[in-house]
Formats: sequence, structure tokens, C-alpha cells
Amino acid sequence: MTPLLEVTNLMKAFRGVRAVDGASFSVQPGSITGLIGPNGSGKSTAIDCISGFQRANSGSVHLEGRAITGLPPQQIARSGLTRTFQDVRVYDGYSVLENLLVVAKPFETTSWADAFLRNAKFREAEREAQGRARDFIDLVGLTKLIDAPALILSYGQKKLLAFAAAMMSNPRIVVLDEPVAGVNPTRVNEVAEIVRRANQAGTTFLVIEHNVEFITSLCDHVIVFDRGRKLTEGPPLEVHRDPLVLDAYLGVEPGHEPNLVRAG
Amino acid sequence: MKRASRSFVGAKAAGITLAVIALTLLPSLTSSNYFLGVAVSGLLMTVAAAALNLVYGFAGLLSFAQLGFWGVGAYCSAIIVMDAGGSFWSGVLVAAVVNALLGLAFGFPILRTRTHAFVVATITFALLCNLVARDWISVTRGPLGIPGLPAPYLLGYEFDRSARFYYIALGYAVLALCFLYALGTSRIGLTLKAIKQNEPLAQSQGVAPLPYKLAAFTVAAVITGMAGAIFAFHLRVVDPLIFDFYYMQTFLIIVIIGGTGSFWGVVIAGGAMVILPEVLRFSNDLRMVIYGAILVAAMIGMPRGVAGWMEDRRLASLRARLR
Amino acid sequence: MTVDPTYALELILNGLMLGLLYALIAVGLALIFGVLQVVNFAHGELMMLGSFTMSLVLPFFGLSYWPSLAVAVIITAVFGAAFYEFLLSRVGQGEFERSILITLGLSMVLLYGAQYIFTATPRMVDTSWGFDGIEIGAIRMTWTRIVAAGVALAAFAGLYSLLRWTQIGRAMRAVAQNRDAALMVGLKPRTVSRNAVTLAAALCGLAGGALAPIQLVQPGMGQPIIFKAFALVIIGGLGNIPGAIVTSLTLGMLESWIGGFYDIVWQEGSVFVIMIVVIILRPEGLFHRGGIRVG
Repeated sequence: MTPLLEVTNLMKAFRGVRAVDGASFSVQPGSITGLIGPNGSGKSTAIDCISGFQRANSGSVHLEGRAITGLPPQQIARSGLTRTFQDVRVYDGYSVLENLLVVAKPFETTSWADAFLRNAKFREAEREAQGRARDFIDLVGLTKLIDAPALILSYGQKKLLAFAAAMMSNPRIVVLDEPVAGVNPTRVNEVAEIVRRANQAGTTFLVIEHNVEFITSLCDHVIVFDRGRKLTEGPPLEVHRDPLVLDAYLGVEPGHEPNLVRAG
Repeated sequence: MKRASRSFVGAKAAGITLAVIALTLLPSLTSSNYFLGVAVSGLLMTVAAAALNLVYGFAGLLSFAQLGFWGVGAYCSAIIVMDAGGSFWSGVLVAAVVNALLGLAFGFPILRTRTHAFVVATITFALLCNLVARDWISVTRGPLGIPGLPAPYLLGYEFDRSARFYYIALGYAVLALCFLYALGTSRIGLTLKAIKQNEPLAQSQGVAPLPYKLAAFTVAAVITGMAGAIFAFHLRVVDPLIFDFYYMQTFLIIVIIGGTGSFWGVVIAGGAMVILPEVLRFSNDLRMVIYGAILVAAMIGMPRGVAGWMEDRRLASLRARLR
Repeated sequence: MTVDPTYALELILNGLMLGLLYALIAVGLALIFGVLQVVNFAHGELMMLGSFTMSLVLPFFGLSYWPSLAVAVIITAVFGAAFYEFLLSRVGQGEFERSILITLGLSMVLLYGAQYIFTATPRMVDTSWGFDGIEIGAIRMTWTRIVAAGVALAAFAGLYSLLRWTQIGRAMRAVAQNRDAALMVGLKPRTVSRNAVTLAAALCGLAGGALAPIQLVQPGMGQPIIFKAFALVIIGGLGNIPGAIVTSLTLGMLESWIGGFYDIVWQEGSVFVIMIVVIILRPEGLFHRGGIRVG
């Protein structure tokens, strides 16, 4: 099966320190793939490079066979890869519904003139977008708050909103950056269920997380990062028992050279 | 954008209709040329402030270039009429076109810069325009400027009296403000404000920020340029003083007080800023001192203006209700 | 082109003096930006405050230069400190627009306030030295100019020492380089910021006071200078002090030379154009580096 997302030899250095150092991995279509690793292993930087928020020094990223390396974030989003952020980002000044409607514009077939004149073509697209938005709001369970300003949502609710926004454009793959960090433990399963349902509808997920339970219950495949590159990969249970992985998280065995890797 | 209750919308519509009627009848209500002159200034400066609101309140760009476009527009119409023998109307049109090109040409490179650099660059642009006006004597006639601008003329009708010229200003103001309102409440406005709130987030959602910013920048340039073009014929003279920072400070005060990003806040503030000084009869300098003090106070207490403050209170009560 | 050597020398000396005074102002601006991340729009008006204070205080001291200058510096410094303490400190760190607008408001209050109180009429300021000066060959230099240059140089030496060797100075450099790290080692941002603003205001007061007997004093005198100062700080790199100094001196020289030989017109325009080009190509300035570099 051709991978949906293929990362080859990605390298990103900050003033000489290699945060990502020859990382290569791939994500299969239809999967929920986890990306784990200790702090400072380069996961976030790799994700930033993949989603266009950082420029990799070398290496390549392919989405459905097309190169997306070095493209600006908006183009990558339009190519079918969206993401959420670790510091949950929503438009505080907008309502839940408006947060999703913003996303609709670039993916519609209407032009600025249509939007300004509010002609029939635009109104039709707007209706469709509103419908889609409401579906996603229902999916994440924020229906009662649909018109509430995002500012007053709780942390967990904002994360759900960000998730819905990332889904709004019907992307091929969504990269979730620590979706349950800071979320009430009782709610973690709810989030996992939402992701599962979205996945069943056809979206692939790459999930970065530290929460072992979450990863184990949700992902069918896990990639482990350490010191800027892939350490190993496999089914979650195997990976979590792998001594190499335990070493990476807990410490370095004598004989292994430490490599100064910048946190993040 | 908030969901307003039925009665509020009704009251709003009634208020607007009333205001428009009052404004249309103004020349019949007062025979004072002075007051009509003040009204003309007020209308045109409110339009310029609304345009600044588009760039600053919607797109989040604190652009002092607006002053440059204002003055360039004024010079365009004056030069077209006095030196090229064109009509007032073609002068305004040329002002629009020139500012559109200028806005695109200057905006394209400068909109990529960040925050501080952007602000300073736009200030420099305004200063450059001032400089050119002062020193490109062959075109702009230098520091003495272009005096004696005639009254506009259309199909035999001369807009030579204050009352008549007032209708040009009113007509333009209504058109420009309607356009800005339509733009601001459209999907384009929604996206602009999203970019202002969180640009990386918008990018991750597929929005390319530069085209939007450039569009807002250029639209604001054109609208302000045309306002300046008309203003020149209100003053009946154009000289480098059209680039005085006093104008920019006035536009800014109106936007800040009214509330960045709020269309109605800015319009109402524009009206207030025009009426109040006349009512309070201050000397020009003292008025500017007060504006400065208001600006300082607003930045500390009400940074998002009156509209923002009202919005904050609404949110606070909403939060309280949810508990 | 044959250049009269005395004329050339005059231009050079004049340029140096101008450059040094610009540099004082630009350095203050860079200091405030480096430590507070604020572009101080009222900077020119602070200088104007210094000039006006000088002009008002001189008669009280019998036109004696030094006490008057001291008072000008102190008053401006105190004013700067008060402005920071009561107003500027209320504006948060990352809110650069609010800081721009609040300083813009202050500049309006100062400029139009001065205009309201003193009218816009330029005033001449006389010191006990009058127009006396020294003559070297065919060149004539008034004491006021020589002293202005000397004072500026002394101020730079003092500033350098302060930033390099004193705790106050090191604290400022630390905050400018890495605010969070500075906070973590216990530096109080408010104290450091207040010091930076007070110091910058003092520099403005010094420049204004020194400039008062040389140029005509009027409420709007700070405006053209401040825009040039912006240019210098941008080209030199926001927060970069040596860069600001080098660029100031260059500008002073450039102005003097171009003004001496060509139409004064072009110098301002070329500065602005250069500035815009630099902003577009290198938004961080020509001598890029974060924080305040002292050397």
C-alpha cells in the first residue's frame, strides 16, 4: 500500500543543534498512527516541518505521492493535511460556529466577488458549509455551545473545537498534537471515541501523545522518536514493552553516546 | 459577529434611518456655511477612519500609510483639475486608480514584514509622500501648494455653495461606508479578522494571509485616497500640510475610541469627534492635547474602544449566566 | 571637484556633532526597544522637553550653561521615569500596538501642549558663551557646538561603562537578550524597564539641552529628528546600540556633506528610501542581533 504520508530523511537544525536528524517514517492511509517519544526527541519539530510551520534543512515530505516539502502551511492544508496545535488554538473572538465557518472559505469554489455580493452561488456554498460545520460540532459534542464565544469555553472544549476545525475541510490526514494533554482523565476516552469515529469515516490520523493508555487504545501503529529520528515502530503493546524504548524514556545505557537535542 | 435580539436590530435600523434622514436634511436645517464645512470634514474623515479600521481593526495592521494615501489622493484630484484640465470627477477617479496602484506596489513588499518594522515602514511611506509633495516642485508646486481649486461642475450644475458641496461629501460617505460595511460583514471580513486573531491558525486552515492583507490594504488606500481627493476641494487648496500627522492622529483616535474592528463604533465615534470640538469650542492645540490624553487613557483602560468595552461586558454577563 | 579644505573640515566637524547628538537620541530609542520591546513615539518630544527646559531655566542661572543643562537632564529623566511608572508599565509585554499608541498619545500631549502654552514661534536660546568660540585657522567653531560634541562623547563613554560594568547596565542587557531567563534569575523587569526609560529620557534631555543653543527651539523640533532616529534604529537594528551609533554618525556626516554640496532636499528622501529598502530586505536591520550589544 502506498503510504499516505511519507517522510524521508528529514533534517532540521537550530543554530547547529539538530532537532530532527534524518527522520524517516510513513503513515498508512486509513490508520490511526501514534507518534511518541521522550521530550526533546524532535516530534514537534518534525510535525512543524511536515505541516509547513518550519522549513526543513533537508529531506522530503510526500503526501499521497506529491511533494509538500517547504510549502507554506496554507498550501499544505489545502493539499489535505491539517493539524491541531499543542497550545490549543481557536479564535477567541468568534463563536464555535464561526470558528468553523472561517475554515470553509478556502475550500469552497466561491470567489471573493461571490462572497462580497452574497449571490446565489455563494449562499448555496454557505448553506452547505453551515451544514458541514454543524455535523462536526455534533461529532465533538459541542452542539449546545454552537453560538457561544470560544473565549468562554473550557480548555477541553477548546481542544474539541480545534479538532472540529481541523476536520472541517475534509482532509485526508489530520495531525493531532497532544490532543488529550491537560484534558480531564475521565474525558480522555470520549476524545478517543471521537477520533475513532472520524477515522471510520475515512480520515487518517497521526497522533502525537504522551498518554500511554490513549495511544494503546486508539492507535493501530506506533512510531517511536528518539534524538531526532525514528527509533522503532510497531503495534502499541509491542512498542511499549521494547527495551530500547524504555531506555529512551528513562535514561541512556552506558556506552551510548549522548546527543544534545534541543527540546521541542 | 453576534446574534442580536429582534428589538435591538429594529432599534438599530430605526436609528440608522433617522441619522441618514437628518444628514440629508442638514443643509436645510442650518444656513451656516461653517457648520456645513465641519460636517463635510467630519464625513470625509470618518470615511478615512473607517478605511483605517479595515486595515487595523480587521486585518490587524497598524498602518500609517493611510496618511500618505489621503494626501496623494488630494494632490491627484488637484493636479488633474488644475494642470490637466480634467473635471473634478475624473480627478477623484484618478486618485482612486493611483492609490490602488500605490497600495499594491507598496503593500506587496511591506506586508511581509513584522509588527514594528511594518509600522515604521508605513510611517516612512507617509513621510516620503510628504517629502515628494514638498520638493517635486514641477508637479506639486512645492511648499506653496496648489491654491484656488474651483468648485466641482456637473452637467451645468455647479457645486459652488457649501450646501451643494455637502451633498458630494455625503453621497461619497454613504457609498464608501456601505461598501465597507458590506465588506466587513462578508466572509472576507470574517477571514480577515481570523488572520488578525491568529495568523498561524488561519494558515493551518488553508488561508493564505498575504492576499487578504493586500486586499484590505489596497481597498483602504483607494477609499482614503478618494476621500482625500474630495477633501482637497473642500479646502479649495492643496499643500504639503495635507500630510500633517494631525490627520492621521484624528483617524486613529476615531478608530481607537470607537473600537478597532467595530464598524458602527467607528462611525459613531467619527460623528462624536466632529461634533464635540465644535460644541466645546476648544482651540485646535488644546483639542489635540485632549485627544492625546484620551489615547493614553484608552490604551490603559479601554484598549478596544467603546465597542470593545461593551463587548467585554456582554461576555462577562454571559460567563456569569453560564455558572 | 576641488574642495576648499577648510569648508570640508567644517562640514566634517559639523557632521560629527550632528551625528553625535542624533546618536544620543537613537541610542535611547534602541535602549527602550531592547529592554521594553516598545517603539517610543514620544522620544522626539522628550528631546523637545529637554530643549524647552534648557531655554526656560537658563535665565534663572544667569545664562550659565552647566547648571541649566543639568536641570534639563534631570527634569526630562524624572518625566520619563514618571511616564513609565504610571502609564507605560500598564501596557503588557507583547502588546506592541498598545505601546506604540500610548507613546503616540504622549507625544501628542507634549507637542500640542507645548504649542498651546508656548505657541509655535521658534525661540532663540542664549547662553553665557553667546556666539564665542575658537578659531583654528580659517575655521570658526562656537563653544556651544564644541561643548555639545564633548558632552555627547562623555555621555557615550558613561553609557558604555554603565552597560558594560555596572549591575544596572548588565541587568538591562540581560532583559534585552532574554527576558524570561532574566526573570528567572531574579531580575525585576519593572525596575530594569524603569531604569532603561529613565536613562533614555536623560539622554534625550541631554541632547535637547545641548541642541537648544545651537538650533531654534520650537514645539515641533522633535518630529524630524525622531523620524531620522527611527531610520537609524531600523537600519542599525532595533536594540543594537553600536549599530545605532555607527549609523547615526554616518547619517550626520552624510547630511552635512550632502547639505553642503547638493540640494538639502535629497538627503531626507534618500534616508527614507534606504530605510524602506532595508526594512523590506532585512527587517531585523543591517547589524542584526537580538538584545543590546555593547561591543
